[in-house]
Amino acid sequence: MASIRRIASLCLLLLLTGMLTSALAQEKVIKIGALYPMTGRSGIYGMDSVAAAEMAAEEINAKGGAAGYKIQFINTDSKAKPDYSVTVAKRYISDDKVNFLFGVVSSAVGLALTEVSKQEKKIFIGTDHAATELTVQNLQPYYFRVSNNTFQSMAAGALYLKELAQTKPWKTIAYIGPDYAYGHAQIEELKFNLDRFGVKYQMVGEFWPKLFESDYTSYITSIMQAKPDILVSGFWGGDTVAFIKQAAPYGLFEKSLYFHPDAGGNYELLSAMGDSLPLGLVLSARHHNNWPDTAMNKDYVSKFHKKTGRYPTYAAEGAYVGVYAIAEAVKKVGNPDDTEALVKALEGLKFQQPEDPEGFTSYIDPASHQIVQVQAIGVTVPNTAFPPATRMLGQWKIYKAEDLLPPKEWAAKNKP
Amino acid sequence: MPSKPKTANTWYLLIFLVLFSLVPVLKTTNYQMLLAAHVLVWGLFAVSFNMLFGVTGMLSFGQALYYGMGAYGAGLCVKYLGQAWFFPGMALGIVLAAVTAWLLGHLIIRVSGVFFTMLTLAFGQLGWQVMFKWYSFTGGDDGVQNIIPPGLFSNKVIYYYLVLALVGASIWFLGRLSASPMGLILRCVRQNPERVRFLGRRVRRNQQRIYIISSLFTALAGGLMSGVDYSIHTDMFYWTTSGHVILMSILGGIGQFFGPLVGAAVIVTIEDVVGAFTEYWSLIIGTVMLVMVLGLPRGLMGEISQLWTRLPGRQQALTTREEGN
Repeated sequence: MASIRRIASLCLLLLLTGMLTSALAQEKVIKIGALYPMTGRSGIYGMDSVAAAEMAAEEINAKGGAAGYKIQFINTDSKAKPDYSVTVAKRYISDDKVNFLFGVVSSAVGLALTEVSKQEKKIFIGTDHAATELTVQNLQPYYFRVSNNTFQSMAAGALYLKELAQTKPWKTIAYIGPDYAYGHAQIEELKFNLDRFGVKYQMVGEFWPKLFESDYTSYITSIMQAKPDILVSGFWGGDTVAFIKQAAPYGLFEKSLYFHPDAGGNYELLSAMGDSLPLGLVLSARHHNNWPDTAMNKDYVSKFHKKTGRYPTYAAEGAYVGVYAIAEAVKKVGNPDDTEALVKALEGLKFQQPEDPEGFTSYIDPASHQIVQVQAIGVTVPNTAFPPATRMLGQWKIYKAEDLLPPKEWAAKNKP
Repeated sequence: MPSKPKTANTWYLLIFLVLFSLVPVLKTTNYQMLLAAHVLVWGLFAVSFNMLFGVTGMLSFGQALYYGMGAYGAGLCVKYLGQAWFFPGMALGIVLAAVTAWLLGHLIIRVSGVFFTMLTLAFGQLGWQVMFKWYSFTGGDDGVQNIIPPGLFSNKVIYYYLVLALVGASIWFLGRLSASPMGLILRCVRQNPERVRFLGRRVRRNQQRIYIISSLFTALAGGLMSGVDYSIHTDMFYWTTSGHVILMSILGGIGQFFGPLVGAAVIVTIEDVVGAFTEYWSLIIGTVMLVMVLGLPRGLMGEISQLWTRLPGRQQALTTREEGN
């Protein structure tokens, strides 16, 4: 008898929660359906992104929302799997009735989702995946990206190397990067940009360890033999940590300049390595906790730290900006349902972001739907302001946003 | 197999077809139809895998190779030759898969047991590596997008019915095969290969045949999947895909013809429903598998038919069935 009563009360509870959620649904909301990985190797990027996006949503909602609409942010673990993510995105659109698709760390997932976005005519705001083709060959009207792509970081990288040649002449380059699409795209784009800016260089080796490789010894000794002046690196996450830790005892960083312009300067690396991170490495990332030195950036970093107890990796800022981009567009249009008007509003949208230095405001390029941002490249220096990291980037070199966008020749060269 | 399960299987097939054909009519959202299509495709994959594993006793850990070939046959043809090549591409993938299975079969069916499993795994991973690294042709880790079935079939409901028809026909065929004299020999191969030889039948030839047939239908499943999701990815070749289908078969019950189909439905649903609420989805799947393997080793369908035969008055049937199986 007791069990029947228990079952009855459980049913009642379920009914009540059902009613409650449907009552909540009556409120005017902007539903954002996100797909960040919460598990596995890229889990930290997903967790930081979700925390930052929720932070942005709370801030906007506290100010009364966008055009009277409250932001409702939902995330499902994408498992970093494209096929699973496609299924979830379709559920978001048909069952959850989201207004925007959002997020994604892996470019493979991004490429699969942009297809769903195109088919279903639902706007997809990309925040962390960097594959250039999403805003070049595979661009479709409903896709927008609010973080830099690899082309932009590599263009900044090429300009850095050009300037470097004037103060400290160098001739030879070697490349090491994970053997998959992301690794290959980076060096292709760097070479293209070096040629574009008229930099002369000689390639003395390309090394392709597999993604998540654990032993880099053979690669390190081969690089030492090739003696490049510059070692360009295209790793991300734990691979960078493993490579630097294994290469440091060989004295690789005294012989060659370690140059890692896309994901090297991520706070994840700085915090994981602490004192074992060599000084003088040239790194960059899509956002830095200590640059630019603006009130907005300081405020963003400290709020994130207060919320989560850790400092953000670069992925977080993309998600934060993405939610604001949605809010700004909805404010312009007045509702989150008129997709075509929202596309028009997002094209050319200009608003202040934590990573904007004094005197510059990021905007979305109407032609490519790619955000146009300044890129800063720095060198590892001692700095204990963001523990557990004991090294942060400094001696910044800043590159103008307009110089970094892919030119027309690039799109022509990569036509499928 | 005695005649009774055969009729039971016909009934199951009918119920299954009717249930799934009602989905587009009764659905409240498009997503439910997508989920049903996933269950169909994974179900076909699992049933054809189980012809190898549950029926013939060959645990292949490399069926993802054929699944991927079917998908990439359709996907790459659409990418390079255009939308109209969807179905020819799918057929090409299936033929390629059958030819590959025939060639590989000669190499790997020489060994049995764990050696067979390891070799299938090795060849499966080889296929994955080729697709993963041949960036210029296959798109590598980025996969292939924008695979839309041509003409009439670009309509989701029509494509769904096509999937249902093809999966239904394939499962019907595999069910007939399983109940045929060849099916009997395959069961003998699992239970006592020595004896099959004494009876004057060839063990290896039968293993080779079922390996090709299973791979062929696996490739069909892969090809159909590319049109459901509109995009494909090298993960389809990866060993976890093979592992996934093994989980489905064991969960549903490898001793039952329809077991893997039920397993596929359960896993696809759990993954999705649980994944929507928590990122600890893998914990739930793990727990379910643990309970199944320890508590219900016959799998869902196996336990259901066991319960059925245990009903009063059917005790007699139980004993005869057990022997027949």
